[in-house]
Amino acid sequence: MSGIFLKKINKSFGNTLVLNNVDLEIYEGEFLTLVGPSGCGKSTLLRILAGLESSDSGEVFIGGADMTKVKPADRNLAMVFQSYALYPHLTVSENMLTPLKLRHLSTLERFPLIGPFISREKRNELTERVRKTAKILKLESFLKRKPGQLSGGQRQRAALGRAMVRNPVGFLMDEPLSNLDAALRVHMRSELSELHKALGSTFVYVTHDQAEALTMSNRLAVMMDGNILQLGKPREIYEKPSDIRVAEFIGSPKINIFSCNVIKSNQVEICGFKIQGNFQHFMDKKISIGIRPEHLSLTNDRNCIKGIIKHRENLGSDFFMHVESPNIEKRIILRVSPEEALNLQVDAKVNFNFSQKYALFFNSAGKRVEVFDPNNITNKKIA
Amino acid sequence: MNSVHKSAYWFLAPAIILMIIIFGIPIIMALGLSLTDYSLGNPGANFVGLDNYEKIFTRSSYEKMFGATFRYVLVVVPLTVGLGLGAALLINSITRFGDLYKTIYFLPVMATLMAMAIVWQIMLHPSIGEINRFLQSGCEIGWLKNLLTLSFLGFEKMDTWFGRSCEDGMPNWLGDKDYAIWVVCFIGVWQGFGFNMVLYLAGLTSVSRELYMAAEMDGAKSSWERFRLVTWPALGPTTVFVVTISCIKAFQVFDIVEAFWTRGAGPSKTAYVMMYAIFEKGIKQNLIGIGASITIIFLIFVMMITLVQRYLVEKRVHYS
Repeated sequence: MSGIFLKKINKSFGNTLVLNNVDLEIYEGEFLTLVGPSGCGKSTLLRILAGLESSDSGEVFIGGADMTKVKPADRNLAMVFQSYALYPHLTVSENMLTPLKLRHLSTLERFPLIGPFISREKRNELTERVRKTAKILKLESFLKRKPGQLSGGQRQRAALGRAMVRNPVGFLMDEPLSNLDAALRVHMRSELSELHKALGSTFVYVTHDQAEALTMSNRLAVMMDGNILQLGKPREIYEKPSDIRVAEFIGSPKINIFSCNVIKSNQVEICGFKIQGNFQHFMDKKISIGIRPEHLSLTNDRNCIKGIIKHRENLGSDFFMHVESPNIEKRIILRVSPEEALNLQVDAKVNFNFSQKYALFFNSAGKRVEVFDPNNITNKKIA
Repeated sequence: MNSVHKSAYWFLAPAIILMIIIFGIPIIMALGLSLTDYSLGNPGANFVGLDNYEKIFTRSSYEKMFGATFRYVLVVVPLTVGLGLGAALLINSITRFGDLYKTIYFLPVMATLMAMAIVWQIMLHPSIGEINRFLQSGCEIGWLKNLLTLSFLGFEKMDTWFGRSCEDGMPNWLGDKDYAIWVVCFIGVWQGFGFNMVLYLAGLTSVSRELYMAAEMDGAKSSWERFRLVTWPALGPTTVFVVTISCIKAFQVFDIVEAFWTRGAGPSKTAYVMMYAIFEKGIKQNLIGIGASITIIFLIFVMMITLVQRYLVEKRVHYS
């Protein structure tokens, strides 16, 4: 019966509503990511969970106990900050010792001069804990250094060490990797995942980087404008986004959105091609189709969607082609393999299509709708 | 010597030349003069060796000079730094009226001390001054007098300062040798802490909010613990600077003494501070030699403070 439960959290700063009745349950031992664009309220939610900020209304339960009014120090959660927030005047080992000292030593035992004298045994025990944690994080050789003498990655580790050393029930991380360079960030992603598996405690991770969210989490919550739009497994969020905003936010490059008209109760038209499905609730309304760049494929068949390449992006393993097509306002992005890309220069004419089953349909309110019979989804290409 | 080295001297030359003209030559001249009995207008001077310095360290009026100066420094520096830090922390913690308080505390810094001295002189006047009238009125309110004379604890009225003053009359602040230097100290604190407050306020803006959050997560529950863990270390460089500036300013105190006692540094020279001594000897009495030797001693004090500051900044409080 542990785990974390946030119930009907509301928060505004002045007239700006930052969190709008947010409910969130975090299971024990899971890696949950809050992801969203900046200003969506994800950091505020994390701080409310930590107790660093108070909510206007709502409750916070940690391990089954109501912690809404409990001070951050008594919630037994640890936090890793974007700036690492290491104490600059203390060495790494002193930094890691600080939370232990504040928790396990009395005021008298922390007193300068006489403190170390009367609590020597306790202190040795705490130092031993610091040493063990440092060993796990491979920090041993930096213990005597101050944060100013460490590289970004080492500081990151030291901040993790300070959080780990006291065995908290949960780790809260506020964009911990965003100050690292790209290569290190990718490396730390796998390291954090492994750490999570090894420790088995709950991780709540805040990021605006969807790659971090998709790679590390057990579940992720996509937040926008103070609401959790969708909560689910990474794959579910990517393949079955419940909202057009989720579909657009998750996935890089962005999903292609085509707006099209419902012409019959069982048919929509996109660029002159027809898709069969159950559209009876959407008669005479706009409907949008979302297709991810990797689901668009080039074809030699001239009866497909036509376009002209305006820009090509080389990512090494893949190429992204930005294509302009008549009747479609936005540029369409499609992914092609490097072999295919060899013959495709800017201004080349291309034809492409997609398989119906990858098409995501969104109604005029932006909610995703099922239009196919789930038992009968075909691989049929549209043209 | 290669050409890179040579060009370095060309780039350094303007700064070095200015240093020599502005600092080097005057200091060497003062040092030279301090070994003579030169007076302005005299055609020549006699070399007297260390006689001037010997006088300074043996005669009783110079003993008074050191006494007054060190009293002033030792009282004013801790109080201006402490009050400056306290005011800055309080102002930093409130959301409204911060600017108003800043202005109020900073006003004495901006005011001309000479003009302020006249106001203080009137306020401190033994019979018509507001301060003594205010204190006197305390003697007439029964319960307040009880409280201030501690008679509710069983003290006799002559046991406490307030009780004695009520009986024998309020002190003559500027004319009594027991009070004079402390009044100067009080005005120095009143006038000086606003400046330190502004420096501390600037220092406080650079303390990261995330550090306070980290401290709270780590278990620093009381604001005192957070102050010890985050604020005080972060203000280390500011504190070294503030203490140094305050020390140097305290050694330089002069104008208030000159304004209060134009004829000589307080009752029985109890407020005979160093700057005043330099002024009196070197300018009023035209004893340039002895004035110069006090100046040299003054420079040595300031130099020592500066060296301590350099050491602390480089070794102890510079974290990155």
